[in-house]
Amino acid sequence: MKTFEEKWTAWLDGKLSGKELTDFEASLPDLAAAEAEKRNALKLGAFLKEQLAGQPLSNEEFFSHQIHERIARENESRSGGARSTWWTIPRLVWSGATALALFLITTVWLISQNEPGEQSEYLTQILNSRVDPGANPNAKIYIFESKNDSKVTVLWTEGLQSLPADYAAK
Amino acid sequence: MQLKCLLFAVCFLMAAGTTLLRAEHVVWSGLVIAQNVPQPAPIPPELTKLEQTLKELFGYNQFELIGQSSKTLKTGEEDWLANSKYFGLHVDARGENEGGYTLNLKLYKENDVLLETEANLSKSSPLVIKGPQVGSGQLLLVLSVKEDEEAHPHRRAQPPNPVSAGWYRLRRFIHRVIR
Repeated sequence: MKTFEEKWTAWLDGKLSGKELTDFEASLPDLAAAEAEKRNALKLGAFLKEQLAGQPLSNEEFFSHQIHERIARENESRSGGARSTWWTIPRLVWSGATALALFLITTVWLISQNEPGEQSEYLTQILNSRVDPGANPNAKIYIFESKNDSKVTVLWTEGLQSLPADYAAK
Repeated sequence: MQLKCLLFAVCFLMAAGTTLLRAEHVVWSGLVIAQNVPQPAPIPPELTKLEQTLKELFGYNQFELIGQSSKTLKTGEEDWLANSKYFGLHVDARGENEGGYTLNLKLYKENDVLLETEANLSKSSPLVIKGPQVGSGQLLLVLSVKEDEEAHPHRRAQPPNPVSAGWYRLRRFIHRVIR
């Protein structure tokens, strides 16, 4: 079932025929006005076809040359820009991988390195110690670690001069 | 421009990482008189963790604090004094190392230096020094490192982790190369 607009368009284009044409024209309230509108539409169509027909370029070669030059310039600047930087993607990848490898090697080396004879870093180390030899000529110093879980390092002195109980004052 | 931004980011991360590695610690130092008494007083709270060890090592049943000092180390190069009436323990921190702090300790009896020692005080290992006999008791010096609980309430004293230990080894290695 065609709508009125479809039938109107077909009628304007002269594509209605037979009973369909008769029925459509009978349905129009003012056939004379419709005929006038049809003539105007056909006239407008013919005018537009005439005006919008392709016009040949008078300087076709000049435009073509301009466009080719511009494309060539753009290609050149793009490839020139890429050449000017050292940081190409492959180089970046290789540099990153090398730096990472060096970092890992150094880290592993530093973490695993433990000097021979070095005391465990978890325990306190006595580097040196001395007592006044004039006041304590027989003094001796021993260093050891407690054997329980408290990991106490003990600096044990023997032979220090005893002091009276008054020295225990706060 | 991009390279500058990258360098800036790397420097910032390194600085932030170094800051994170450096936690503030408190070094506690105490002068203790250990003796045997018929009715021993309870051990001071600072020595609770060491009570069993001290009793086993020295054979005394009472440990009384006659002087103490707590110092928060920020640069690792501070010095301080723990005093009693007659004794003074001067602690001179000479830098942080991979396990703790290098300390120079001097025990004074009034103006005389009784004992001098240099130690790498570990964060996980207290140091106990047996001093002179005092009356029927014994003077002991105790030093330990604790995390600054105000700054890091969630942390507990732990052995150094491999990353920070590696960092200190790198610093030491660079120092040796420079020297």
